Amino acid sequence: MYVWIWRRLPGPTAVKWLQALGLFLAVVALLFFVVFPWLEPYLPFDRMSTD
Amino acid sequence: MSEALTPVEAPPPAPGRGGRDTVRTVVRGVGQLLITVGVVVLLFVVYEVYVTDLFGSQKQAAATEAIDQVWAGAEATTTDTVVVTDPNQLVTDPRQRTPKYETLSGEGFAKLYIPAFGADYRFTIVEGTNSDDLYIGPGHYSGTQMPGQQGNFAVAGHRVSKGSPFNDLGLLASCDAVVVETQDDWFVYRVLPMQEEEAGWDGTQHAHCAGVGVQTGQYAGVYGREITVPTDYAQVLPVPHVDSTAVPPDAERVITLTTCHPQFSDRERMIIHGVLTQSYAKAPGFLPPELGEG
Repeated sequence: MYVWIWRRLPGPTAVKWLQALGLFLAVVALLFFVVFPWLEPYLPFDRMSTD
Repeated sequence: MSEALTPVEAPPPAPGRGGRDTVRTVVRGVGQLLITVGVVVLLFVVYEVYVTDLFGSQKQAAATEAIDQVWAGAEATTTDTVVVTDPNQLVTDPRQRTPKYETLSGEGFAKLYIPAFGADYRFTIVEGTNSDDLYIGPGHYSGTQMPGQQGNFAVAGHRVSKGSPFNDLGLLASCDAVVVETQDDWFVYRVLPMQEEEAGWDGTQHAHCAGVGVQTGQYAGVYGREITVPTDYAQVLPVPHVDSTAVPPDAERVITLTTCHPQFSDRERMIIHGVLTQSYAKAPGFLPPELGEG
């Protein structure tokens, strides 16, 4: 999967690294702002009220 | 991962090479998948422990700013400009005080100070205990009493993440002050004796323990700290452990703080109970002396 992505990134190796970094940060942002906030209520970590 | 090496690593052409390539592709794919899952799990830990703290502190700052504006507006309408800083002149009888503010779900209405956690420990308490409310800060259980009232002023807060307001509740000792500031009042609660202190309790052993004693009667078995199950809603009822929402005429003025337990888990709940020992009217420039207890 990563080889496939790497091969499709254009430009020399340095530019590829920059693009790979950008892709990684985009994925992290997606996780932090969308996926994790959605996932969180389903996980048994921090429900603190009595009910 | 580098494709430049592939020609070197590739086995010489031989029968069956296609099959080996398939195996290699599958193994590599599974390996990359496992690494990816590991990184995502680590990122979730970072998110839960650090990133939600950042988001939560922004929400908390906004709630604090909002309540500061409301209080500043209410203060401007009072004509009393006499500066009184003697605590004894400001001591009030909680029976004479009734809340003159309204609470809206998700909005702050009081501030919480725990001097034992440092002079900078302060959180704006919001109304409500759903996950959105508690992301902002400690949340008041709707339906429980207000600060200073007879019955139980019950507040829930996150142990870890979302600002972690109640992470250190396990460090509270008996007689530690839990101070609540509302629009017009300061209410000083003190943590009740712990279960293991009950037998030899002597209220005079410590200057801060006046008004704090082993609980008896309908309050028997209410301790400063209790570990219980998540379904134990009776902890936040007017008389803790008594399964009734009615406030008896002789009810004490109790504060209850709840958070999850153990740390990083929500299998159980940690409960802190305290009783009101002092209250003051707010005055410009006046801070309760209890806030100075470190």
